[in-house]
Amino acid sequence: MRAPRALSLAVTASGLALLLAACSTGEGVDAEGLDEAPEPSASADGAGGAAGEGVLVAALANTPDQFDPHVTTSQASFQVLENVYDTLVVPSAEDLTFEPSLAESWTTSEDGLQWVFTLREGVTFHDGTPLDAEDVVYSFRRIIDEELSNAFRFATVTAVEATGPLEVTMTLSAETPNLLANVGGFKGMAVVPSESAGLDLATQAVGTGPFELVSTSAGGAELTAYDGYWGEAPQVQGVEYRYVAESAAALTGLENGDVHWTDNVPAQSIEDLADTEGIELGRTGSTDYYYAAFNQTRPPFDDPDVRRAVALAVDREAVAEAATFGAGTVNQTAVPEGSFWASGYAPFETDAAEAEQLLVDAGAADLEFALMVPDSDEPAVAAAQVMASQLAEVGVTMTVDTVETGIFLDRQGQGDFDAFSWAWIGNIDPFDYYHAQHITDGSFNFQGYSNPEVDDLLTRAAAETDEDARKDLYAQAEQLVVDDVSYLFLFNPDVVEAWSSSVTGYEARPDSAVNFETVSLDG
Amino acid sequence: MATYLASRLAQAAVVLAGVAVLVFSILQLVPGDPVRIALGTRYTEETGAALRERAGLDEPVLVQFVSWAGAALTGDLGVSFRSGEPVTALILERLPATVSLAGVAVLVALLIAVPLGTLSALRPRSVLDGVATVASQAGISVPDFWLGIMLIVFVAPVLSLPTGGYTPLSEDPAGWARSVLLPGITVGVTSGAVLTRFVRSSLLEASGAEHVRTARSKGLAPPTVLGWHVMRNALLPFVTVVGVQLAYLLSGVVVVEIVFSYPGLGELALQAVQSRDFPLLQGAVLLFALVFLVVNLLVDLSYAVLDPRVGTR
Repeated sequence: MRAPRALSLAVTASGLALLLAACSTGEGVDAEGLDEAPEPSASADGAGGAAGEGVLVAALANTPDQFDPHVTTSQASFQVLENVYDTLVVPSAEDLTFEPSLAESWTTSEDGLQWVFTLREGVTFHDGTPLDAEDVVYSFRRIIDEELSNAFRFATVTAVEATGPLEVTMTLSAETPNLLANVGGFKGMAVVPSESAGLDLATQAVGTGPFELVSTSAGGAELTAYDGYWGEAPQVQGVEYRYVAESAAALTGLENGDVHWTDNVPAQSIEDLADTEGIELGRTGSTDYYYAAFNQTRPPFDDPDVRRAVALAVDREAVAEAATFGAGTVNQTAVPEGSFWASGYAPFETDAAEAEQLLVDAGAADLEFALMVPDSDEPAVAAAQVMASQLAEVGVTMTVDTVETGIFLDRQGQGDFDAFSWAWIGNIDPFDYYHAQHITDGSFNFQGYSNPEVDDLLTRAAAETDEDARKDLYAQAEQLVVDDVSYLFLFNPDVVEAWSSSVTGYEARPDSAVNFETVSLDG
Repeated sequence: MATYLASRLAQAAVVLAGVAVLVFSILQLVPGDPVRIALGTRYTEETGAALRERAGLDEPVLVQFVSWAGAALTGDLGVSFRSGEPVTALILERLPATVSLAGVAVLVALLIAVPLGTLSALRPRSVLDGVATVASQAGISVPDFWLGIMLIVFVAPVLSLPTGGYTPLSEDPAGWARSVLLPGITVGVTSGAVLTRFVRSSLLEASGAEHVRTARSKGLAPPTVLGWHVMRNALLPFVTVVGVQLAYLLSGVVVVEIVFSYPGLGELALQAVQSRDFPLLQGAVLLFALVFLVVNLLVDLSYAVLDPRVGTR
């Protein structure tokens, strides 16, 4: 028994030693926490006033899935990639019209079927290799040939060729007036180097943008200013992204000076933040929209009057208020006011009596249905709950069917729903707002809407090159879509971002693109 | 002892095999088509077929299981649906953060529980005991996400600690300590509250034992009785409970990790669920099961060391 006893004593003793060690470590940790000066990068005060200094710390609400711009569909990924990659053209911050970026200029042939882009001279990738036409061809062919998530934007493109060292020619099967929006609307259409075949673009990024991606980790990503950038040099040395899911942490960090910028601003905090000294609140109407859609392939929603009755019973003001705490603008179409493409069409006025009458006439007085919403989208869920109570007032029983997002997409794709509600984000051209959603056999026409007149108008509008004529065609199509309630449009949510007063030169954009190219930090 | 070890190892292997079957079944039991769900709006016939082929989902179920389990034995847990990176690499990237958090949390818990529990047990039903009981009840009841948010809002600014994130120990030890401290305290307080009650009751139980009464009647000094006769017997169940706590913490404390945007395994597992990344989810669950098995095994072995009767039975 001697040996085991000695052993057990040893174990007891080492347990005590561990406890003692624990005490001293614990104190050490405390002391370090108190004495240590904040990391230079983590302190707003540490940043110098001169240009090109300081590291901007940006807290993102969501975590990027990966960094291959052609593959990812994650908004958080694009918030990082926005500063790393360039596209041929880029939407302006003011009105989202397209400006030159990697393409200095472009021309369109008489018949509209050939577009020639002339690339800027002296552009280099972050590894130092110069940009040429082959890189653009490689990038676009990669999207098309590998059928990546944006391949649909090249639906009318029959050829992409390098017709000169800095000249790219695209040949189309039909006129495509929104081609600029398709190739430059967002960083999903970024130009990557043609030698990138050996690179793992999911984790490495080699762009032509103002910042280089130097490291990625589970908790964030780091960018440094690229000194060979073709445009004006960034005003900060770098950007450190941190993925912060909890808004209290992001906002405390902002107040501490630990974080300079965040998009993690819950709607209920907007008013408080607007009054907080040292914090700027950026708020602008977005190009996104929320809507509900009804399954028109079967009764009772195959009857437009039933859909109209629902539209009449819904009070959009109350829905938008509940869903966004006031950070949204009601709309009866998809296009937000202020856009060149907005028509301002608004035929519905909330009218419970008329809604009830319509339902009785349509033989659907005791209408019952389930509205499917994705659980990940809080505003959509809140909007659905308000709609349910409003419909109850006209005798309609609507249950809110909150499902996991993956299941939502699966059931949506299979047509397995009475009705569903969600949002469209990142629209620029009216094509993005209406085409795939409302044309018969459109890839996102899950609700089964079919109106030959709308098909004709949308098809013509997609190929119309005269801007005013095009706007008119979309307005006509929009009117029919709204009257038929193919979608019940609800509201445009605001883009809300907050940043420290030490940040200058930043503005919230309607397309939610987060661009730190012109931002500087001062004291 | 050797036979005991062998039989425990054999048991663990059987359990692990069972877990592997269950984990693999996740994919088969998901309602709907996992590939369709994983791809969402990106789903087309072509992308679906490509992912199915890449993930080996076009093979018969039994073939899939054998190749998955075989690869898992060599440490290859497949490729993430979401990022395309190897699952093993994703998990290993998170492991240091989780081990740090679990380590600090257990330290905090022991620092709370051992002194508090011992003091309580020395003076049962005293004022101090009452205070300790109320405090541990409060610690158990307070939701950890709430405690975490309170620390972020009220403590982080005062001590100028980061409000989230993780700095690797190898990169910057001081930064590591600063990044682990608040989440470690958050998790440690909850665990410590549970452990305090446990220390108290097991010490009380052990101090009622016959040999302790004998020791007391021999006139030994109370600290000697406590340290020599009571603690050693109370240590056995205590090791078990600390082991279970540690295994629990190593399998990721999801809520706290989210609050502190702490890139640990719990957050990774949650991401896997949210993005329907089944290979990643399978890998994470398998790892958690493995951690529990290993910790249990170690606890049992330490039993055998602490109490010689266990190994010889």
